[in-house]
Amino acid sequence: MKAEAEAGEARRVLDADILAWMRTPGWTEDEARFDATARRLFAHQFRHCPPYARFAAGRGRTPESLLSWREIPAVPAGAFKELALRGFPEDNTVKTFRTSGTSGQKPGELHLDTLSLYEASLLSSLENLLFPDHGPTRGEARPCLLRILAPSAREAPDSSLSHMFQCLLERLGTPESGFDIVDGELAFEPWWAAVQRAEQSGAPIALCGTAFAFVHLLEQLEARGLSLRCPEGSRIMETGGFKGRSREMPRTDLYAALTARLGVPPGRIVNQYGMTELGSQFYDSVWVDPSGPRRKLGPPWTRVRFLDPESGEEVVDGEAGVVVIHDLANTGSIAAIETADLGRAVLDEKGRPCGFEILGRRAGAEARGCSIAVDEMLAGGGA
Amino acid sequence: MSKLTIQWPDAHAEQVETAKGRLDVARRRLVARSPEGILSVLATVFDQWRDPQSKWRQRFREEFPQASGFSREVAEAGLDLALAEWTGDALRRAVEAELQGTALGSPRWVSPFSMTSVVLAGAIPMPSLLAMVLPLCVRSPVLVKSAARDPITPRLLAESLAEVDPELGRCIEVVSFSGSDAESLTRFLAAECVVASGSDETIAAVSARIRPSQRFVAYGHKLSIAIVRAGTRSDEELGALAEALSVDIALWDQLGCLSPVAAFVMGENPEKTIDVLGPALADSLARRQSEWPRGEISLEAAAAIRGQREEARMRAAGGSSIGIWESEGTEWTVIGEADLEWRPNPLHRFIRLHPLEREDQLPEVLSPVVRNLSSVALAGFENDSERTAIAQLLSQRGAGRVCRAGRLQAPPMDWYHDGLPLVLPLTRFTGLEISVD
Repeated sequence: MKAEAEAGEARRVLDADILAWMRTPGWTEDEARFDATARRLFAHQFRHCPPYARFAAGRGRTPESLLSWREIPAVPAGAFKELALRGFPEDNTVKTFRTSGTSGQKPGELHLDTLSLYEASLLSSLENLLFPDHGPTRGEARPCLLRILAPSAREAPDSSLSHMFQCLLERLGTPESGFDIVDGELAFEPWWAAVQRAEQSGAPIALCGTAFAFVHLLEQLEARGLSLRCPEGSRIMETGGFKGRSREMPRTDLYAALTARLGVPPGRIVNQYGMTELGSQFYDSVWVDPSGPRRKLGPPWTRVRFLDPESGEEVVDGEAGVVVIHDLANTGSIAAIETADLGRAVLDEKGRPCGFEILGRRAGAEARGCSIAVDEMLAGGGA
Repeated sequence: MSKLTIQWPDAHAEQVETAKGRLDVARRRLVARSPEGILSVLATVFDQWRDPQSKWRQRFREEFPQASGFSREVAEAGLDLALAEWTGDALRRAVEAELQGTALGSPRWVSPFSMTSVVLAGAIPMPSLLAMVLPLCVRSPVLVKSAARDPITPRLLAESLAEVDPELGRCIEVVSFSGSDAESLTRFLAAECVVASGSDETIAAVSARIRPSQRFVAYGHKLSIAIVRAGTRSDEELGALAEALSVDIALWDQLGCLSPVAAFVMGENPEKTIDVLGPALADSLARRQSEWPRGEISLEAAAAIRGQREEARMRAAGGSSIGIWESEGTEWTVIGEADLEWRPNPLHRFIRLHPLEREDQLPEVLSPVVRNLSSVALAGFENDSERTAIAQLLSQRGAGRVCRAGRLQAPPMDWYHDGLPLVLPLTRFTGLEISVD
């Protein structure tokens, strides 16, 4: 009991420190603070998540052996499908988010014993990177009409994305804001009425949702022969890919179609990179650095590394590698996660990393063999 | 005044049309030839390809590896093993067995399609070699679309045929264009008979352009597995078993539909067998890497291998009894699993060993893959009745082939690929109910 109480107290102190960082207006990079906090968090997770401790020890990494946060071992995102990676008693779970996955495959699960860091991180990132002209980082929050092309948190309680949008609505949404995917379908008529009112009023609108939902929306607009010009200051945030969907669309084509149908220029369309297993998200830089290269930016309590899959070592800045994310918002689970994505650092004019980009699959790459991928086959449903 | 627009077909579409025109001319001579004569020529060509010293094999050695991404050693070993029994005689016997009773004087005649278009896919040459010559056996000229990753095999085969028999050589035309070139594809797929290999996506795209009046023969992507009898073995027996499995895994870098993605160790205490088979197989795969180096690998594939290894490590850390044997880089990987769950396999010499206590678990285990199951290799089943029982079970579950370990990559010439006869689907027949000379 005493050990449990001590563990709880140590977590509360850690959470409080990280929350204070998240709630500080304006973002400043602080390498020393990140390193110290990341190592404290690793020590805590090593102590209270036995599978992670064994995994890290197998790599020869213990809290005592670390020289830098860069040495913290990252667990593969797929492990969240196999194990309950939590550093707190199961009974303390207040929320479990699950990945959508595809049929025949187990979902990944993120268990949380508090939502405070999760929500503080997501809101800070949204305010700084998607709504820098609306957020309280520059004073009082200025509400915005938000139409969300995703199911509500009530309809999809396991979805971290719906939860994020719910938080955003509560923070920045006007009374006319809301969700437009109802019972799994796009509720087109109410959506169209809402955006038409916005167009007439001249007040900016923010359309947020999954990339696939936007493709569906575009099909509806095209079928009805409709288009509009969203008012100046409007924006679109899209996220997620097309895996397991019947239709794929290159991102450049999607943005061109959104611009043509909704009148939102590509420079006001933002891709979010995030995953259920992470507490923090990354956004395209177009709102905070419109003249710079499009790249992903994240909050100062995150770091991104790129690994050579052959050696497991970090690649040279600018070269492609497996994306590893260190996210201090993940206090209850594991802070270092190795994703299944490839990416690379984007370099500034002095050759220093200033963000990163996610690399998609090579277009038109033809298979060399005739073997079906097991995951593709399982997604197909089998017998 | 109305505007006149003249649309010329693009260069590739024009090449397809020109090739079709040449085949149309060649067809007139082809249909007049005897099936026996055609088979004799094709038998000669196959025998030339079997000879590692033939000029076709020499050119193949020089040109194929760079285009395909396979190492020269893998390409040579794969071709040697597969062609060993693909003799000219084997081709003759296989085709004649199917076409029995169709000669002149018989009540059923072969009525050749005016043209067969063959869509090749991937970079493994064996299916391409066969797919190109089979329509000729039923006197249909062949229009071939080569795969982006193997433009070499179709060209060399066409040249080798033309050298042996120029007239028959004129009955194969090889064209190349992007799958997204709709104009060329439409013209290419207008043949009376279309044969296509490829992913579900490719097959669906081709199928969408086929009219009901056309014959369409499709070969989709598949996978294979191995089943190993659990039990105690001498070091020598264990080594032989591991060697055989490593051949099946290493050839064509495990990218083919005949490559095993998983091996099920069946019988009492399968975990004990996995504990000794895992390192033995790892040793064999390490030797294969020296002998037959793995070919090129994309960053995506390497990342997928790393990801699956890390996930296995995490499951082991979570308390599962997982064995991991791996090369320093991503060249080969053996995962000794603790359960029967199907997990992603990134290929490129990555194999999972699963414990299977009882034979009656097999139907359920195979249930997610039955639609895509190609071949099954059996290893260590010395008892005839046990072997027969498993083969029957596998046949009932849709396996296209059951063979010994080490032979997955060498199907016999008369194997019914995807359950289909070799040439019967490529032709039609005229039934005769009148007396003719």
